[in-house]
Amino acid sequence: MGKYLIRRFLQLLVVSFVISVLVFMLVHLLPGDPTTQILGANDTAANRAILLKQLGLNLPLWHQYTIWLSAAFHGNLGTSYLNHESVTHILATGAPVTIELIIISQVLAFAVAIPLALVVSRKPNRALDNVSTTTTFGLLALPPFVVAPILVAVFAVGLGWFPATGYTPFNQAPITNIHEMILPSVAITAGSIAVYFRLLRSDLITTLQQDFITMARSKGLSNRRIMWRHAFRPSSFSLLAAAGINIGSLIAGTFVVELLFALPGIGYALVEAVNQRDYLVVQGISLVVAIAFVVIQFIVDFVFTIVDPRVVRE
Amino acid sequence: MPDEHEISRRTFMARGAAAGGAVVLAGAAGTALAACSSSPSGTTSTTAAPGSKPGVGTGTPVQGGSLSVGLLSEIDGFYPPANHWDTSGYIYAQCLYDPLMAIAADGSIQPYLAESCTPNATYDTWTLTLRPNIKFNDGTDLTATVVVNNFTALKASLLTGQALTQVVSCTVTGPLSLEYKLQGPNPDFTAGLPTQVGYVVGQAMIDQYNAGNVTATPIGTGPFIFQSWLPNSHFTATKNPNYWRKGLPYLDQITLKPIPDTIQREATLKTGGVDMIGSTDPDTIHRFQGQPGYAVVDSATGVIGEPSMAFIMLNCVVAPTNDLRIRQALAKATDQTTVQRIFGGGFGKPVNGLFLPGSPYYSATDFPSYDPAGAKRLVAEYKAGHGTPSLQLLTITDPRLAQVVQIIQQMWQQVGFEVTISQIEQANLINDFIAGKFQAATSYQFGAVNPDLNYVWWSTTTAGAVGTIALNFPRNSDPVIEQNMLTGRHTTDQATRVKAYQTVNQQLAKDLPYIWLVQYIFSEVATTKVQNWANPILPNGMPGYAFDEGIFSPTAIWLAK
Repeated sequence: MGKYLIRRFLQLLVVSFVISVLVFMLVHLLPGDPTTQILGANDTAANRAILLKQLGLNLPLWHQYTIWLSAAFHGNLGTSYLNHESVTHILATGAPVTIELIIISQVLAFAVAIPLALVVSRKPNRALDNVSTTTTFGLLALPPFVVAPILVAVFAVGLGWFPATGYTPFNQAPITNIHEMILPSVAITAGSIAVYFRLLRSDLITTLQQDFITMARSKGLSNRRIMWRHAFRPSSFSLLAAAGINIGSLIAGTFVVELLFALPGIGYALVEAVNQRDYLVVQGISLVVAIAFVVIQFIVDFVFTIVDPRVVRE
Repeated sequence: MPDEHEISRRTFMARGAAAGGAVVLAGAAGTALAACSSSPSGTTSTTAAPGSKPGVGTGTPVQGGSLSVGLLSEIDGFYPPANHWDTSGYIYAQCLYDPLMAIAADGSIQPYLAESCTPNATYDTWTLTLRPNIKFNDGTDLTATVVVNNFTALKASLLTGQALTQVVSCTVTGPLSLEYKLQGPNPDFTAGLPTQVGYVVGQAMIDQYNAGNVTATPIGTGPFIFQSWLPNSHFTATKNPNYWRKGLPYLDQITLKPIPDTIQREATLKTGGVDMIGSTDPDTIHRFQGQPGYAVVDSATGVIGEPSMAFIMLNCVVAPTNDLRIRQALAKATDQTTVQRIFGGGFGKPVNGLFLPGSPYYSATDFPSYDPAGAKRLVAEYKAGHGTPSLQLLTITDPRLAQVVQIIQQMWQQVGFEVTISQIEQANLINDFIAGKFQAATSYQFGAVNPDLNYVWWSTTTAGAVGTIALNFPRNSDPVIEQNMLTGRHTTDQATRVKAYQTVNQQLAKDLPYIWLVQYIFSEVATTKVQNWANPILPNGMPGYAFDEGIFSPTAIWLAK
């Protein structure tokens, strides 16, 4: 397992390096000149020269990259030209919001998708299975920006159970925080439930037709034990892989929900930065999000080795 | 969808062109000479008298309570020389700071932190005297030295420096008095002091910025003291117990929450997440007006000076819009009534220029009325010499605006134009304006109390070739406009001023750098427990300008029990 993990880790480093180059280049390849946006009407040759020097944009690209990467390793991802906050601070402020949103949404998604898949896979194509499959198919077609206003209209404005927008840090008021995070989390959860349920159901149906399940049944094990102890684990590979990709995507992919619910997360900050061509912020957030995505995939790979040690041998 | 990119926001000015500084002045200012309330009736409250008007408190003010407000957008910082204040930005500023001067309900400029601001006989030197015994919230005194140090920082700033180019020097002449020396006479100099360059911050804040701490805690003389700010979430300030305006503020605490999406902002109000919201969507007014439990104030009436106006901007130096016949044809082909119905939410009225009926500067103009047959004739005439006129209509990525633009495209195509629509980000659009890289584009601008503040947009001195930086975005270089703008600036005779700006308005209708579409409307909705939010009273007892471009003052707000 050690060699496997080391190999994966080395791959992670290579991928991270490639990502860093791409992220660095991406901003330079974007149409338009960031100095134009920063200087606005003061975009004179003299001012531009000063700004280019300040930002290091007059140096060769490789030199700019090494400076940028070296600073990034020291936790310095630059400063927003717009509000003069350090990118590290912006990330530190936004990350708890986004991470909490992801955690709650994924816990909810697993809490709904796994039991439901376990129940319906025992008796596929029956009424409950058909209803569940159709419903989740519908959920897949509903993006968060459609789900969110519906949730707000029903559960905030209509029933008054939850606030429509707002964010209170968890450490200031935990109950209020959870209360405020429920609706945004559910808006994200809908799609995740659909994906997780359909993958797990499909794999479970296949697994339940295997000989070792028949053997378990013949030994008189209870259905509950068969499902949880024997069927679920070998059926969870696709679920794990999907969860890894989904969680990684959500790090910056929650921006629509963050905007709609006025949550100061990473996605919100990234969209603001893109709109304002605050390119150091775009660069910094993109790098961290991409690295986080790769790290999550590494963790998923590690979990695979626990779920099925054969992965290491293969 | 989020409407943070609406061109209706001052962000158009503040975060783009604004780097140009002069624009900081354009949104809100007034004139000591022009009292020009265009229509003081209607839902907007611009008088101080308590009554049943929305936003005007009734009964005895109540001390205490916490107010929460949903804003259109987030501020990018609290330091006047460095940050870009849009409508929301000014609301933050009103909590923490006070301006040197303020706009009164009659359009005049009145002292605020200043006790007086008086010119010499030739109007090229102004002496400002501060009120005594005013302290910043860090306990230090407001002195002339601090104001001059503020000025120095503002003047040195890339952002705000252009707004102060006319000021040659600002010097301390006494503990509470200072002197502005101008490049030339300007009877309207104080018009700029209610804006971003007129807000005063404490010396410690300036020192921290100068030392490189660009996120220094705000220090001001304002009614509230900064407590916390979580960007894109909320800002909290608590009552300044030593506020120099005795008995004010009434509230113990104010919280500002940027909520970019209009529907979510409205939902938050309905669910009690906030007590007040701002909006630039006229449908907000429809949804809340007459609803029990809510009061609505809007800028559809009661505008002082000129309203914010939505329009199509035409580039006067690139083909085919450099041909006056083409601009006339486009104007004649544009059915203002239809656009107003869709975009103005039913509040729009026919406009023939920048000023509305009721303003002294309003007059009949030659702005073309809807005449598709006439447009077709002009297009045919152009076509004979140059071929079919083809142009690109630039707009921003806003769903409400996209609908309007598509209709305008159809109108123009029906009279013989080939029109393509291009949607780009607002920041890029502003850059294209500055560089003149457009033919036709949707935009929103103006809203100044004093027409002189439009000089930078219309002057021949700020027009330039394509590819050069120019704040006269349509590059309409008209000496008649230049001459009359200068006349309006320098004259002390109101009749001469009125005639000058009327001439400018008429000339714009002839040159057609802008196809006027509809007045842009700001609105504020509050629950009925929020009292007196559209009824500011200035330190000298005069009623203040209540709802300047969506900006309200929190100083005199109270919450009904």
